[in-house]
Amino acid sequence: MRLAKYLFKRLIIVFITLFILVSIVFLMFRVIPGDPVSMFIDSGLDAESQQLMMKLYGLDKPIPEQYIIYMKNLFRGDLGNSFTYGKSVVEVISERFLNTLVLTLTSLMIAFTLGIKTGSFLAWHRNSKIDLVGTILALIVRCAPVFWTGMILLSIFAFKLEWLPLGGMTSVGQNFTGFWDKILSLDFLKHLILPAITSALYSMATPTLLMRTSMLEVIKEDYIELAYAKGIPEKKVRRRHAMRTALLPVVTIFAVQAGLAIGGSVLVETVFRWPGMGREIVLAVSSRDYPMAQGAFLFIGFATIVFNLIADVLYAYLDPRVSLG
Amino acid sequence: MKNIFKLFKKNIIGIIGLSIFMFFVLVAIFADQLAPYDPMEIQFFAEGGVKRLLSPSMGHLLGTTYMGRDIFSQMVIGTRIAVLVGVISAVCVAFIGTNIGLIAGYFGGIVERILMGIVDVMYGIPFLPFALILVSVLGPGVQNVILAIVLITWRNSSRVIRAQVLSLKNRTFIEAAKLSGASDFRILYKHIAPNVVPVSLIYVSTSMASAIMSESSISFLGLGDPMQVSWGRILFTCYQSQAMFKAPWWVLPPGIAITLLVLSGYMMGRAFEEIANPKLRER
Amino acid sequence: MTLLDVQKLSIEYRLSDGKLRAVDQVSLKLESGDVLGLVGESGCGKSTLVKGIINLLPSNGRIIEGDIVFEDVVLNKLSKESMRKKRWKEISLITQSAMNSLNPVYRVGDQIAEVIIEHEKVGKRSAMEKAEELFDLVGLDRGRLQDYPHQFSGGMKQRAIIAMSLALNPKLIIADEPTTALDVIVQSQILERMNNLLKGYSGSMILVTHDVSVVAQTCTKVAVMYGGKIVEYGDVVQVLKKPNHPYTMGLKNAFPSLIGEKRELVSISGTPPDLSKEILGCRFAERCPFVIERCKGMSLEKTEVENGYFYCIRHAEKEELRKRADLPETWESEV
Repeated sequence: MRLAKYLFKRLIIVFITLFILVSIVFLMFRVIPGDPVSMFIDSGLDAESQQLMMKLYGLDKPIPEQYIIYMKNLFRGDLGNSFTYGKSVVEVISERFLNTLVLTLTSLMIAFTLGIKTGSFLAWHRNSKIDLVGTILALIVRCAPVFWTGMILLSIFAFKLEWLPLGGMTSVGQNFTGFWDKILSLDFLKHLILPAITSALYSMATPTLLMRTSMLEVIKEDYIELAYAKGIPEKKVRRRHAMRTALLPVVTIFAVQAGLAIGGSVLVETVFRWPGMGREIVLAVSSRDYPMAQGAFLFIGFATIVFNLIADVLYAYLDPRVSLG
Repeated sequence: MKNIFKLFKKNIIGIIGLSIFMFFVLVAIFADQLAPYDPMEIQFFAEGGVKRLLSPSMGHLLGTTYMGRDIFSQMVIGTRIAVLVGVISAVCVAFIGTNIGLIAGYFGGIVERILMGIVDVMYGIPFLPFALILVSVLGPGVQNVILAIVLITWRNSSRVIRAQVLSLKNRTFIEAAKLSGASDFRILYKHIAPNVVPVSLIYVSTSMASAIMSESSISFLGLGDPMQVSWGRILFTCYQSQAMFKAPWWVLPPGIAITLLVLSGYMMGRAFEEIANPKLRER
Repeated sequence: MTLLDVQKLSIEYRLSDGKLRAVDQVSLKLESGDVLGLVGESGCGKSTLVKGIINLLPSNGRIIEGDIVFEDVVLNKLSKESMRKKRWKEISLITQSAMNSLNPVYRVGDQIAEVIIEHEKVGKRSAMEKAEELFDLVGLDRGRLQDYPHQFSGGMKQRAIIAMSLALNPKLIIADEPTTALDVIVQSQILERMNNLLKGYSGSMILVTHDVSVVAQTCTKVAVMYGGKIVEYGDVVQVLKKPNHPYTMGLKNAFPSLIGEKRELVSISGTPPDLSKEILGCRFAERCPFVIERCKGMSLEKTEVENGYFYCIRHAEKEELRKRADLPETWESEV
C-alpha cells in the first residue's frame, strides 16, 4: 500500500520530467540560431513536398504554435521522417533501441556480476596487497576512455588473433527469421562479445568499488559475528549474510548505471559499428538528419528517466528498512 | 583554506594526482617549445615520399600518422585542449553547482523546490547525446564543447552542497550572525560558503576529470574542431584510417594520456573527499 | 563431570601503539549443570574471556598462553572446521549487542531456522516448528517469526536471540549481558526460564554481567574479574555472603541486596586499570580502601578456600575488612 503511494508520487515526478525533457528538445532545435526549416525538411524533396511537410509540422507558424503542433505529433507517436532512411523515425528507432538495450544490459550484467564478486573479494581481503592492487586497477580502468579500450581490444582479438569479428552486429549474408532468432544465434554472440566486454570493463569500477565499501561496512556489523558464533561456515557467512546485505546499495545503482550506460552507448557503438541508438545519433548528427537526431535523443532520454524510476522503486522494494517518504 | 592546504600536503594520493596534473599543465604551457614539428604539417622524406606510419625513432619520438604527421608533436599540442577544457569546465561547473546548492539550501521553501526540481530534470538528460546535438547545432569549437559540459555537469555538485548547507544552517555561529543583523548575502558567502569549500573542491577535481573525458569523447566522435589537435581527435583520425591495427604507437599515447589526466582529477578529488569527511581518513 | 576447564589463559590485543593483555592467566572450572556468573565492571576482560573460549576474538586478538578444555577437547587447538561444528551446537553465545545481532534483511524466523538447519540437517518445516516452540518459551508471539528485525522492539530482539541460543540444547550457553534491554521483572522471568530449561538436560551457562544481584538470583558459581584476572572464585552463596576480596565487597555494596535489608548503595570510585601498562602486585590496589604497602609488591598470593579461591594478601584480616567494607564511609573516603 505504501509502495503504491510512493510509486504514484514518483510517477508524477517522472511525468513532469518527461514533459520538460520534451520541451528542452523542442527548444534546442528551434530557438537556437540556424534555420529550422532546413533542419527538419529534407532538401532532397521537390518544392511541393517541402511545402507539404512545412504545413504538416507547422514550420511556417510562430514558435508557440509550433510547440503545440510538436506536442500533438509527439502524443500520436509521430517524430517525423528520417532524411537518410526515408522512413519514419519511430520505425527506425524502435529497432535500433532494442539493439542498444541488448548490448547495454549484457554488458551491465557482466560488469555487475564480476564487480560484485571482485568488490566483496577485495573487502574480504582488506588491508592486503591484493586489495590495494585491485582497488587501484579498478580506478585506472574507470579512467581509461571506453572507445580507446575498445580500439585496443579490437586490435588484439579481432585483428591480431582473428578470434572475433571486427564490428557490426551480424555477418553479411546471414538471414534471421526474427529478433529472438537473431540474438540467440552464435554469429550474433560473437559480434556481441567485444563491445559487451569493453563497456563492461568501463562500467565495472562502480559496482566493484561500491561493493567493496559496502562490504567493509557490513563486515563490522554484529550480525556477522553472530553468524560466526552460530557456526555457519565462512563461505555462507560471506555469501548469505555479508554479501546479501552489502548488495543493497549496489543493486540500487544498477538501474542508474543502465540509464547512464544507454547515454554512453554512443561511444562503444561507434567503435564497434553496432547498429544501435547511440551510433544512430552520431550518424544523424554528422549527416544533419535532425528529425532522426531529435527522435534518438528523446528515446535515450525516456530510457534514462525510466531507469532512474526503476532505481528508486527497486531501492524502496529491496530494503525492508527504507521509509517510503 | 590554509588548513585544507595543510591536510592536502599530507595526502599521498592527492599529491600524486596533483603532480600528474601539474606535469600536464607544464606541457600545455610550454607546448610550442616542446613540440618539434607543426602537428598538422605533413612530413616528407628527403627524397620526397610522405613519412607514412613510421614507427618511433629519434627523429619522430612517437612515430608518424597515416598522413605523415608527427605524433609526438600532436600529443604535446593536444595537451592544451585537454587542460584548457578540463580547467575551465571544472571551475564553471563548481561555481554554478555550488551557488545553486548554497541558494537552495539557505533559502529553502519554493526556491529550493524549484532549483532541486531542475536538478532532478537534469538527471534525465543523457549527457553525450545532448552534447553531440548541441555541438552539431552550434558548430564545432572548444567553447561549445565546454558549454555542453557545463550545462549538464553542474547537477552533480548542487545536491551535495545543498545538504551541506542544510546541516550548517542551524549551527550557532549562523544564528549569531543572523541575530547581529547580517544580511542573507553576507551570511551565505561570508559564513556558510567557506565551510563548503572542501566539498566544492571535490567537484572541481572530479568535474575536471569528467570534462576531459567528455571532450575527448566528443572529439573522438568527429565533432571536435577540425582545426584543433586534441587527444580525442588523434584517436578519431587513427580509427578512421584503420591504422590502429598496425600502429600501436599511434593508438597508445593518447589513451594513456587521457587515462592519466582523468586519473589525476579523481585522485585529487579523493584527497579532498578525505579532507571534507574525516571519517574516511582512518581507512 | 567437568565440562569446561580454562587453564591459565592469557589473551592479548595488538594495538597500534603496543599490546594490551585483556585476560591474564585466568583459570576456571565449570561442571555440567553449573551456572557461573562472571562479574566485574566493563573493561575488565569479561567479554574477551568468553569470546576467547569459543574462539571468536577480533582479528587483533590472540591467545598467547593457556588452554581451553571442553569435554576433554582442547578448543584452542581445534581446526577451524571442527571448531565451527561445535559452535552453537555445543556452545552458544548471546552477545551484549542483541540489538544489532539480527541480520536486517532476513525474517527473524528464518534466522533461527538457519542455525537449526545448519547443524541438524533438518528441513525448513521442522526447523520452523522448533522456532515456534522457542518463541513460546521466551514469551514471544509465534506470528512474529515472520517479521523483520526492524519490526521488533529492543526487548523482543533480545528474547529472539535468547530463543535462538536455546535452539540446539547446547551444553554451554555463554550469555554476555543478555538482558540489559529488558526490565527487571521480565529479566528475572527469562533468566529463570532459561535456568529451568538448562536444568532439564543439565546444561551449563556462563552469565556475564556487571550486576551482582542478577548473579545472586541465577547462578550457582561466581567468578569476579578485575583487570584481566579472576580475583575471587567460589560458590555463589559463599562468595556473596562472605566475600574475601575487597573488590567483591565493593561490588556487593554497589547493588541492591536481595536478602532484603535496605541499605545505601555505594559505588567504587575510580576506574579499572589501563591494561596496556604493566601492573605490579594487586590490580585493585589503586582503588582499594584497605591498600597497604605490600599490596603493590611483586607477586600475588592465592588463598584456597572450600570450592574456590581468591587473591588478597590481607586474607588473614578478612573478617575485619568485611566489617569495614559494610560501612559506606570506607568507600567514600578513599579516592
